Amino acid sequence: MSRALRVGIGTAVAIAALALPHALTVPYFLHLTILACIWTVLAQGQNLVQGFSGYVSIAAGGFMAIGAYASALLSVKAGWPVWTSMALAPFVAAAFALVVGYPSLRVKGHYFAIVTLAYNLVIVTVLNNYESFTGGEAGMPNIQRPAALVLGGLQLSFAGREGYYYLVLLAAAAATAGGALVLHSRVGRVLIAIRQNEMVVDALGVAAWRYKLFAFVASGFLAGLAGALYAHFIGFLNPEPFGTDQSMNAILAVTLGGSGTLLGPIVGAFLVVTLPEYLRVADTYRLVAYGLLLVLATIFMPRGIVPMVSRGFQGMATRLAAALRPRPDPTP
Amino acid sequence: MTRIDEGLVARCTAVLAGLALCATAHAAQKELVIGVSDALTGPGAVYGLPQSNAVRMAVDDTNAKGGIKVGQDVYKLRLVAYDDKANPTEATNSVRKLIDRDGAQYLLGFCCSGPTSAVASFIGRENVTMLVGNAAERTITAQGIPNLFRTRPPADFTGSAAGAFVAKRGVKTIAVIGSLDVSFYSQYLEAFEREFTRTGGKILAKETFGLKDRDMTPQLTKVRALNPEALLVLGYVEPCAFVYRQAVELGMKMPRYGFTSGSEEQFLKVATSEQMEGVWDLRPTELTVSALGEKANAYVAEYTKRFGTPPSPSSPYAYDQFYVLKHAIEKAGSVDPKKVQDSIRSGGIPPEAIMRYLPVGSAMFDENGQAYTTNGAFQWQKGKWVYVSDLPSDPVAYSKYLRSLRK
Amino acid sequence: MITEALQQVLNGLAIGSVYTLIAVGLTIVFGILGIAHFAHGSAAMSGGYLTFILTERLGLGFFPAMAVALIAGAALGVVLERLAYRPVRDAPQINAFIIALGLTMILEGGNLLLFGPDQVVIPTPYQHVYTVGGLVVAELRIQVMLTASLAVAAMATFVSRTRAGRSIRAVAQNRQAAVLMGVNADAVATMVFALSSALGVIGGALVGALLAIAPGVGEGLVVKGFAVLILGGLGSIPGAIVGGLVLGVSEALAAGFISSAYKDVIAFLVMIGVLLVRPEGLLGKR
Repeated sequence: MSRALRVGIGTAVAIAALALPHALTVPYFLHLTILACIWTVLAQGQNLVQGFSGYVSIAAGGFMAIGAYASALLSVKAGWPVWTSMALAPFVAAAFALVVGYPSLRVKGHYFAIVTLAYNLVIVTVLNNYESFTGGEAGMPNIQRPAALVLGGLQLSFAGREGYYYLVLLAAAAATAGGALVLHSRVGRVLIAIRQNEMVVDALGVAAWRYKLFAFVASGFLAGLAGALYAHFIGFLNPEPFGTDQSMNAILAVTLGGSGTLLGPIVGAFLVVTLPEYLRVADTYRLVAYGLLLVLATIFMPRGIVPMVSRGFQGMATRLAAALRPRPDPTP
Repeated sequence: MTRIDEGLVARCTAVLAGLALCATAHAAQKELVIGVSDALTGPGAVYGLPQSNAVRMAVDDTNAKGGIKVGQDVYKLRLVAYDDKANPTEATNSVRKLIDRDGAQYLLGFCCSGPTSAVASFIGRENVTMLVGNAAERTITAQGIPNLFRTRPPADFTGSAAGAFVAKRGVKTIAVIGSLDVSFYSQYLEAFEREFTRTGGKILAKETFGLKDRDMTPQLTKVRALNPEALLVLGYVEPCAFVYRQAVELGMKMPRYGFTSGSEEQFLKVATSEQMEGVWDLRPTELTVSALGEKANAYVAEYTKRFGTPPSPSSPYAYDQFYVLKHAIEKAGSVDPKKVQDSIRSGGIPPEAIMRYLPVGSAMFDENGQAYTTNGAFQWQKGKWVYVSDLPSDPVAYSKYLRSLRK
Repeated sequence: MITEALQQVLNGLAIGSVYTLIAVGLTIVFGILGIAHFAHGSAAMSGGYLTFILTERLGLGFFPAMAVALIAGAALGVVLERLAYRPVRDAPQINAFIIALGLTMILEGGNLLLFGPDQVVIPTPYQHVYTVGGLVVAELRIQVMLTASLAVAAMATFVSRTRAGRSIRAVAQNRQAAVLMGVNADAVATMVFALSSALGVIGGALVGALLAIAPGVGEGLVVKGFAVLILGGLGSIPGAIVGGLVLGVSEALAAGFISSAYKDVIAFLVMIGVLLVRPEGLLGKR
């Protein structure tokens, strides 16, 4: 795609995203869009590990829980301002990721996946049983939305869905920008080299584990941010939405959308949030349909939707260009 | 000749009358959306699906009788039920959808505490009326949410009655095995302990099992070594049936009390009748024909006919919700949720109600929006739950306590 | 105190022998084909459900029903390998793992559709309870331990004594060399999945008889199975046997003497600890 075309499409998407709350007639869709933006943050984090370095982490739900509970506990129990606790929550999740990531990244491949799954189970068990602190299964009600901001005489309120939408949109954009920054840096290149051949990276004397740890901690950070945004949006927390199902959703979003790409997680997150709405007709078949989708996508579309579509576009563009280009005279 | 064709006149009149009828019917016939959010699939479905079915049955019956009359208008009911999978996020989504997309102003169902609490945390800001069924977590009605009502009493209302009952039977030491990470079981236990220890009773151990655990022999072995006079088992039917069975398999012969609310079939799937013999269940007097009488009998028969399986013991909480709503709308003469709430708050117990409610003053619901049923002591005797006696319960005192929790 | 501890060991051995069955199935698939077959637990539960249907609806005895389910389970394993895993055999490892997650969802959803959300307990005639010097053990638990031991022994004999077993071992040692020597790698993959799933179905049926089958039980078991693999060393059959029993017993002891609420957490902490100190597992090769 040419640069001009990209800028054009980007601007159009940005305008559409900003105008969205005014275009939606059914408020429920705004609700779903907010969730999709939050899930985008989560999926961008998952993409750093799964898409870039090729390691499957099954702990996204767990780190999301840590971010959500950190922010909720700081604001509800410690009485801190919501903005402060929301800003701190991702760091708490990242700190956890650092502590547990350091040992578990000493092992490779499947070991890593299984260990992260165990972390997720441990986190949920502790949240359920440490009742005096987390409220256990009964949960924590009445988690407040952040206070209104006054920017140059303009009052921005987040109590309604519209205001909150702009907040999560900003977060999703920032997460995507962060992903872009990593991808185009040396770190990103090393991570992708790890995905392609970790042994070669090791052999070149690059400390692969440092880069993997960075990706893991950064993904913990984003999952924590997603958790904080989620907690203050829904207003109620219990451990249930953060089980391994949630981690699977993050994996599904990245795989379907296009792992290792920047747009993939966005597309995947929207699919994961909206697909159930369309599959709801056959609610009992949903799990089966999801599974089939995951299997078929991995076999037939291993790079995900975004690369496939963009390749399709590129193919069309090349053909179009070829058709428009004046044919050189056939040389004898 | 002016011979009037009488047949023609008759036909014209009939057509005109028909048109007129149609017109008035059209003017008065309106639609009222009844929203249900409940666990229709997944582990919560044992409670949620029967609740949703019970509401459907009540709605169909009412429509068949012409609908709900509100002043001049007659409302036909349209039921919209969504699956919340007993998950807070899904429940938030499905309630948002009911309110925003389907225009539902009356929300019924709600079998499970997690999703119900999630919905309760924002429902106060919406112009709707919410009726909670089987979800027993205390905080749901402890917050004083004005547009929320609950037919099932909180677990600790039953727990304190149970504690007094067990102490009265002369038990001095007891060991607890339960789903204590599920808060309404820990609330039941808390209230049980308060009453039980008041007269010198002692709780020797509190052992927990997870929702998916089925091998309780480690916990039972530990408890056995402490030699308690009795065992108290708290949790969902499926794991608790294993506790009862494995206790027998480990040679434990002390009396067993519990709070599980399971049906005979559910227990017999896991344990033999001999293994269950003598077990007590101390719980709200839910659907037990011997305790509730003829009306319950008819309900069970009708439900079984329509859905092919017998109803769950807790499903009438949802059935009763609907009739609370119906009478309140009729009494208010309006479908405005605010007016309907007032009439629910002052209203008595609907005649169709299946459960046996204890009124607070003259109303069915107290100032917290909470209703109370009687509690009963049931004992497993020769393959059946037998209703032995009522548990002494005091809704007025509990209602005051519940009010005192409000911040 | 000592009786209590011994009783806890006995309690743990029964569930530990089920962990062993599941883990042995996982470890042969992993050791020979390099696939982390996450759907193994759910496939095992499908077999358990089938055993239930055969006993409850058709009135078959427990062991005959299990034998039929075992064959069906083996066939299911072969189908999964053929349709889902084989197409990604040469793709990066992560693809096979994602396929495994997808298969888990399909099987769990399928089980839910076919058999409903309620828990299912397979009826057996073994109701006796034996008491020996203060220790109590139910007849059913003895049957479970015996069946599991026999199944694992039969599998080990097959792998070590038969011609087909030899080709499996050859592929496990060096896939390329084995293929060059004329071993049919596709046939080996089929055989490994059939064996592993058959063992899984026995595990599923035993869980269904001893405890219960319900949605989510399979996933829980496969996680425990992987924990066992990490304890014993990925790909090691003796490691899986010892690891399964160790996990079962340590869970019972943890629940009895430390905390029943954090029983599972303790099991995973042990696993993570082993991973850090001895990443190749207790019995794994360095």
